[in-house]
Amino acid sequence: MPDIQPTTDKARPKSSLKAWFHPRGRSISTIAFALNRLTAIGLTLYLFLHLVVLSQLLRGPEGWNSFVSIAKSPIFLTLDVILLFGVVYHMFNGIRVALVGMGVANQRQKGLFYGLVGIALILFVVGAVLIYTK
Amino acid sequence: MDSTMSRRSPEQMAARRDRSGSVWLVQAFSGLILVALLGIHMIAHHYIVEGGLRDYQQVLDYVSNPIIFTLEVLFVILGVTHSMLGVRSIIGDMRPSAGTLRVANWVLIIAGALAIGYGIYLAVALQQLAG
Repeated sequence: MPDIQPTTDKARPKSSLKAWFHPRGRSISTIAFALNRLTAIGLTLYLFLHLVVLSQLLRGPEGWNSFVSIAKSPIFLTLDVILLFGVVYHMFNGIRVALVGMGVANQRQKGLFYGLVGIALILFVVGAVLIYTK
Repeated sequence: MDSTMSRRSPEQMAARRDRSGSVWLVQAFSGLILVALLGIHMIAHHYIVEGGLRDYQQVLDYVSNPIIFTLEVLFVILGVTHSMLGVRSIIGDMRPSAGTLRVANWVLIIAGALAIGYGIYLAVALQQLAG
């Protein structure tokens, strides 16, 4: 039996990505789940892009240091802030996903969501301020 | 508490659906380890360095530390594995045919292996450059 089965439950997005963007009738848990997957796609794309960018290091100090100077431009810093949101949201909501999936805190998952995403938001704000000021 | 959460959450359904191959457990545990590794990676590379990013020499000095080197290699392996399994899970939500899923599996395995191989090559090359 394959370990991925077609979705049949009403609470899960069914046949297309379009369903993820349709908030009507969705619980906070389902919206959190969809956002977790959207950030996952973004982070996966960034992971590959990051490996490509790191290849500049093999070109020596000129290649890397010129990239670093570009990476400190306001546009790059804004992209960094968007990336930071994806990272902290996926990280902290991911902790909830793992705990709930393992059967831990099943009855308190809404509180767990607000608590962990609250921590993520605080870290996001602090990190964003540091990105622009450091 | 809303009704969906009181029944079965999407997380529980995803866990139940994927657990037969232990794929979900690999995904969950790699994710939990990545929380620590990614935290270290981001703080070390972006928040404790003056100016927000390490210059070339600072990168070499950082990677030359054997503990950091090991953590970075582990980070690449777990990060790529976690992301490829995640993409596979998302593809599964799209209700693909068995043939499409089989092709997707191979594409993800090859892309993941290439990414891990390149990441390790990069780390080793940088450590050699650091002397």
